[in-house]
Amino acid sequence: MRKLIPIVIIAIIAIIVFSSGKSETQKILRIYNWADYVSDDVIKKFETEYHCQVVIDTFDSNEAMLAKLKAGATGYDIVVPTEYTVNVMIDDGMLIKLDPAKIPNLKNIDTDYAKLMRDGKMEYSVPYMVSVTGIGYNPEKVPDFTPSWSIFLNESYKGRMTLLNDMRETLGAALKSLNFSINTTNDAELEEAKNLVICYKKNIAKFDVDEAKRGLVTGEFFVVHGYNGDLQQIIEEAPNIKFAIPEEGTSMAIDCMVIPVGAKNVDLAHAFINFIHEPENCAATMEEVCYASPNTEAVKLLPEEFRQNEAVFPKKELIAKCELIEDLGDDNAKYTKAWDQIKSAE
Amino acid sequence: MPTMIPRRRREEWLLTLPTFFWLTLFFIIPTVIVLAIAFKPAAPHGGFGEGWTLRTLMELGNPNYPAIVFRTLWISAVATALCILIALPVGYCLARASRKWRQFLMLLVVIPFWTNFLIRIFAWKQVLHPEGILKKTLVALHLVAPDATLLYNAGAVMLVMVYTYLPFAILPIYAAAEKFDFSLLEAAQDLGSSRLGAFYRIFIPGIRRGLLTATLMVLIPALGAYVIPDIVGGPTSEMIGNKIAQRTFVDRNLPHASALTGLLLVTVLVVTGGLYVLVRMRKIPRALGRSLAATGTGNLTTTAENTAPVTPESIADLVAEEEKNKEENAEEDAT
Repeated sequence: MRKLIPIVIIAIIAIIVFSSGKSETQKILRIYNWADYVSDDVIKKFETEYHCQVVIDTFDSNEAMLAKLKAGATGYDIVVPTEYTVNVMIDDGMLIKLDPAKIPNLKNIDTDYAKLMRDGKMEYSVPYMVSVTGIGYNPEKVPDFTPSWSIFLNESYKGRMTLLNDMRETLGAALKSLNFSINTTNDAELEEAKNLVICYKKNIAKFDVDEAKRGLVTGEFFVVHGYNGDLQQIIEEAPNIKFAIPEEGTSMAIDCMVIPVGAKNVDLAHAFINFIHEPENCAATMEEVCYASPNTEAVKLLPEEFRQNEAVFPKKELIAKCELIEDLGDDNAKYTKAWDQIKSAE
Repeated sequence: MPTMIPRRRREEWLLTLPTFFWLTLFFIIPTVIVLAIAFKPAAPHGGFGEGWTLRTLMELGNPNYPAIVFRTLWISAVATALCILIALPVGYCLARASRKWRQFLMLLVVIPFWTNFLIRIFAWKQVLHPEGILKKTLVALHLVAPDATLLYNAGAVMLVMVYTYLPFAILPIYAAAEKFDFSLLEAAQDLGSSRLGAFYRIFIPGIRRGLLTATLMVLIPALGAYVIPDIVGGPTSEMIGNKIAQRTFVDRNLPHASALTGLLLVTVLVVTGGLYVLVRMRKIPRALGRSLAATGTGNLTTTAENTAPVTPESIADLVAEEEKNKEENAEEDAT
């Protein structure tokens, strides 16, 4: 036993020395992203072309990501927040101003989408993917499905449905079905939405983000509130599952790539943003993650069948009913309060 | 002045210094920081602002909290009680088993630790799956309704908690039982006590330190549970741990999360202190022994008490006396 100790110590030192030696020759690009949100092939291609290693950490809500960064997590070179969180990060001075000269592929970005963003000139953020929330369902178990949020009031599927564990999305669904704005700060409207979610809650199994979609495949859940691309990824594995955008409208989100202050490889991060918006890379990513990227050139490269998929590219008239979630600053507290009451309601 | 301190004392101080330093650095300081944040104002986008405030503490009066605190307390208490009830016979059998069997049984208790905690919880999701074998069997036996859900309720949280924390209850009980002099049980039986009566009146009081450790080892993590209610709990099984997570990650309100942590800490301290005092006063094991004896083996033991001049209680007293002496001796040795 005694003889082993020096060997172990030498081994540990050797590992430290060799691993640190490795990082000197090979740069590491650290990305903080949503789960299942990149194409592994595109990442590998980037690694070989730029002789670097890409490390991806994931988060499941903007709030969780922001909380972690605020608590002092540093070293990320790229973060992929949703547009409303980008604005918070810009206001709090958490982002580096991008150098457009290093991202020539910005020309491929659809200005119609960029216009929806507060940072429309893309000074700090470059749109990555556009998502809408909707409902994934199993048509065998839910034969009378109609694309409406009212499905969550249907008691025959009690205990077999899930809502997103995200106060803005879930309250947003209720607000939309009451024909109010998703960004309302009107107390009476929020109160009404809160009561509606409490009614939904009686019928759902749980509030969830990443696990529920898998439950849809295993037959655990029949109706799941989720993001279109996430559910589309599931549909590729289990074609019996369907996705629908509720006719009352829903929330739309533009997730953007940003470089946070404290990034170690700013040049490499610029190169990555540019690489992702290379039309062929962007098309490959879209096909893999099943989200639509506002990259006009890339969309042209997609197979016709994929472009016709309304779950990924919703119809124009449905898009018109969608709203971008905005950061409400101090009024966020109103949503927190309503969410607390929902969570503690019996 | 240092010369005035006896050498033995100084050595003792030097010996405890590393532990003291370690605890201060990695336990006391972080805890104080967490609690101090509770007195800072919350910044709208996370983190905390300048100055000090008592507002967050006032906000603990949130009308939604009592239900969550109550739920946390009862789920933890029931899970702990179940763990102890299962661990007692297991610990007893382990201590009485032959060497070979004991090693095998210990292995069975410890093996689950070889698998990651999260994976074990996810495995429970498969076991309790609404389309799973267990559910189908229960439905076939007409024990549950076809549309009943085994997952996502307080029962599922409790079941997984008992499963997860059971080894933490078995090990201290076994450790205490191993040191227990089993000939005392024979003596009690010679004096007319039934086997079960001897178990409740002699064995349980004899291992009360192990029982206390087991209770704390289960109760404290159960009070702070977050992952289990998050994964197998439903929309109405939120516990304090989940609320702290929500305040930290979703609401980005660190002061409020800190205040809730303080509340949890106070709860744990009160419960721990209360249990400790009770056990020190030897109320729990004897009260427990009496109530159990009254329900299970009441008739036998009462007749035994009437005929036997030396009652099992007197042996329990003797055991306790002996243990107390041992403790005192140990304390004297230490000082």
